[in-house]
Amino acid sequence: MPQAADATFLHEDNAALIFSPLKFRHLEVKNRLFRSNLSGMFDEYNGYGGNTRLNWEEKFAKGGVGCIISSYTPVAVRGRILVRYAMIDNDDKIPFWREIGKRVHQHDCRFIMQLSHSGRQQDMGGIENLFKVAQSSTNQTDFFHGILARAMTVSEIHEVVEQFAQGARRARAAGLDGVELHGANGYLITQFLSSGINDRTDDYGGPVENRARFALEIVRAIRREVGPDFHLQMKINGVDHNNWLYPWKKKGNTLEDTLIICKMLLDDGKGVDSFHISSGSTFPHPRNPPGEISARALTRWYGGMLASGVRTRFNYAIFKNPIGGPLFQWLWRTRRGKIIEGINAEYARYLRSAISKIDPSIKFLCTGGFQHASNIAGVIRNGSCDAVSMARPLIANNDLPQILRTANGPVKQKECTYCNKCLVNDLANPLGCYEVSRYDGDTFEEKWDNLVKSVMSVYQPTLFR
Amino acid sequence: MNYDPPTPAERVVARKRWIRCLVFLLVILAAAYYLIFINQYVVAYKDNVDHFKYGSIGSEPANGFPILVFKALPVMFRDELGPTGYRRFGMLYETEQSELPVGMSRRIITGVERVWLNCAICHVGTYRISLNDRPTYLYGAPANNLRLFDLLKFFLMVSRDPRFTADNLIDTINSPAVGGHLNVIDRLIYRYIVFPRVQTALQHLAQQVSFISRQADWGPGRVDTFNPYKAIQFNFPMDAAHITDAELNGSSDFPSIWQQRPRDGMHLHWDGNNTSVDERNLSAALGAGVTPVTVDIAAIHRIRRWIWTLAAPAFPVPSAIDQSKVERGRQLFATYCAGCHGMKNAAGQYDYDTNRYPRLGQIESLDAIGTDRDRWASYTQNFSAAQNTLYAGYPWRFTHFSKTGGYANQPLDGIWARSPYLHNGSVPTLRDLLEPSACNAGSACRPAKWYRGGDILDTAKVGYRSDGYGYDVKDLFLYDTSVAGNSNRGHEGKAYGTELPSADKDAIVEYMKTL
Repeated sequence: MPQAADATFLHEDNAALIFSPLKFRHLEVKNRLFRSNLSGMFDEYNGYGGNTRLNWEEKFAKGGVGCIISSYTPVAVRGRILVRYAMIDNDDKIPFWREIGKRVHQHDCRFIMQLSHSGRQQDMGGIENLFKVAQSSTNQTDFFHGILARAMTVSEIHEVVEQFAQGARRARAAGLDGVELHGANGYLITQFLSSGINDRTDDYGGPVENRARFALEIVRAIRREVGPDFHLQMKINGVDHNNWLYPWKKKGNTLEDTLIICKMLLDDGKGVDSFHISSGSTFPHPRNPPGEISARALTRWYGGMLASGVRTRFNYAIFKNPIGGPLFQWLWRTRRGKIIEGINAEYARYLRSAISKIDPSIKFLCTGGFQHASNIAGVIRNGSCDAVSMARPLIANNDLPQILRTANGPVKQKECTYCNKCLVNDLANPLGCYEVSRYDGDTFEEKWDNLVKSVMSVYQPTLFR
Repeated sequence: MNYDPPTPAERVVARKRWIRCLVFLLVILAAAYYLIFINQYVVAYKDNVDHFKYGSIGSEPANGFPILVFKALPVMFRDELGPTGYRRFGMLYETEQSELPVGMSRRIITGVERVWLNCAICHVGTYRISLNDRPTYLYGAPANNLRLFDLLKFFLMVSRDPRFTADNLIDTINSPAVGGHLNVIDRLIYRYIVFPRVQTALQHLAQQVSFISRQADWGPGRVDTFNPYKAIQFNFPMDAAHITDAELNGSSDFPSIWQQRPRDGMHLHWDGNNTSVDERNLSAALGAGVTPVTVDIAAIHRIRRWIWTLAAPAFPVPSAIDQSKVERGRQLFATYCAGCHGMKNAAGQYDYDTNRYPRLGQIESLDAIGTDRDRWASYTQNFSAAQNTLYAGYPWRFTHFSKTGGYANQPLDGIWARSPYLHNGSVPTLRDLLEPSACNAGSACRPAKWYRGGDILDTAKVGYRSDGYGYDVKDLFLYDTSVAGNSNRGHEGKAYGTELPSADKDAIVEYMKTL
């Protein structure tokens, strides 16, 4: 996708398209701009949300996006990904999420909750999980951080399916506008779907239909709980690219595999209402979020993960090595490829054109580096997707939707540079944009001060005044 | 502006890392420097004989050629040396594929493999009984084949020859005949370091030993022990004003070196100038190109331990000993010879007891023994004094050298293998030695001119055949006893048995075969 303005269409045309509403089967959104799954360690350790999380979500609703898709929300403590993120593991979490919905709805913004389970991709499991081995489809340790895994028994699988169903029920009870299944980026559902990870020999492993059984059971269980008229969407990898770090690993699902899975999840019209297309069977992955990786930032903040897996010390040694760090950065860039903005558009296009032939009411979201009006309008126009979701560009410019009304994108200095320092800092620091060059100031110290101000703004307004 | 500066702690960590890196690098460099430029590498031989034949005694550092240069020279100068290369000088290649002859060792110094001489070059001889035999090697025997004079002249010729250039040397090394594959770095090293050093060393050597043009040819199996020594070790002026012709023409045979324990304390070297086997060993090592600072003392000691008890070889054709004459020979030997030379005891072992044989190992005055005086003349008082400064600073510093008044008596163990005879090798066989030197009409005498350099044994007269049998005489050396230093006079007269009847002389020779 070209990053320059497409000269065939005027900005007005692009803006008109972008700010036209989108109707799903059971959801209407005021424009084509979704905020993708994004949050920081703003909540209580025990999974309760707080004032800061409310500020965070409201920021984006104020900024003008049509719908917010929440950060991953674990349906059980066992499925936690990072500590200090809010959960939906118990009815006692419902009041908080109800408040989120209220705040966001004030700005005519919808709110979809992403139901998550880490599986073996449990970056910081917390003290509750310290002496437990992560649940997964497989016994294989994850190849990136070396997090240990134990293959789930069939009864454990049924338990987790039920956890998802209960999570969806709670989301509906909280008055939210829909749920998204976190079936992409290497978490538990991906661990079942992906041929690169799932090595089971029972009904939940082997051919693609078996591998999709877990996800299908979740969809059906959710429908059983919330009924047919609650918006349910599936976030899924177009292609896994599982062998990005170690080329001898299996490469995982292809686009054809994904199409079969999507068709199954339609469940003859009784299943999901839309798809959210991403890629990459780990998180992070060079393709997701697409951009750079900072070895220096990793050296500073990866330490909190050292206790989580058996390869973390090795990784850390690479990150901090004067040759290993740059080498890792180079590898990351190479495996990502040249395209950032619209990196998954072709996957979405393939899937959308096949699925709309079966059921034209199914809508497609696409994520991956979107920041410029011309590109966003372009992918909607060429049928790749019906709307885009953005994460980092919205951190860089919370009011990006306002900007896109009148300009193709932010001014050059203020653009999101896809440096992914926000991502790496999230392991230890408040989530925000940590790209120093974006901030005003004549010296580094001035810029850094402005950066701190910006990052700290999520804590305003404080709870007690 | 740097948008990603290090934190204060990161700066300190980075600086420490730099320092660690630097230190590590320095350690590696120091280790590499030591391993390449300081440490030397030799081949270790398990077997004492192999160590003797090929082990390094430390001659390569000061005097060795890079092996590729050594191998290239016979190819470059094929016209002069012929197709057999260094074999022309009597160097012994055990097989056709042998890279180096017996008596040459290798040592890696500053990354370059160099070769030079060791004890075996002068102390391994060969013999054949019949023409079609393969030569049998005698370890510790005099190197009857070695033409050291010719080898020296060859190196001198190379130093002057316009064909000896860096280009020719490198081309020859890279040719299939030598098979050295010099890469671009090697070629630069050979052009700018190796070749100039070799040429300088050869020119320096040529200048030091320029006196050899005034010497009579040493011939095969002989060496001028001390004149090169004077020039090379002490820079003595060797011109005619300082060195007489007599001093200059003292060439003598290589000796055997077995059974050294009984010899320690006897007067060693032909003129008896040292009574210490150890000093004699180290002095001889200097002749092989060792220097006091490069000597591999452990290697020398290993050889010393070996030759301390190395047995003398037995006569190879026992059937050629006429047993009927041996007893008569023994009695005659006991009367005429044993007083100065010792003999075998009743148990058949050589008896070195200087109490029983009081002249054994002692010096006979020049007048008494009457042999050629030039060898005695070549060892001078000044030289002896200078020798006693060698190896200063080491426990084995020389202290025993002295100028004597004549020649020393030696045990005759394995005497069959030590021809030709007398210190200057002027008499080809034992039987000839029992004849007078002056030739009168009708009576037998020692041959005045005869061929040396062959290795076919005369089992009757005991000694290498001197009539040119089995050889093209062009390939042999015509030994002329009228040349300065070559006189075959001496060790004759009634007391020396030269007036005995012929049958008695035969008997003595038969007995001496058993020694």
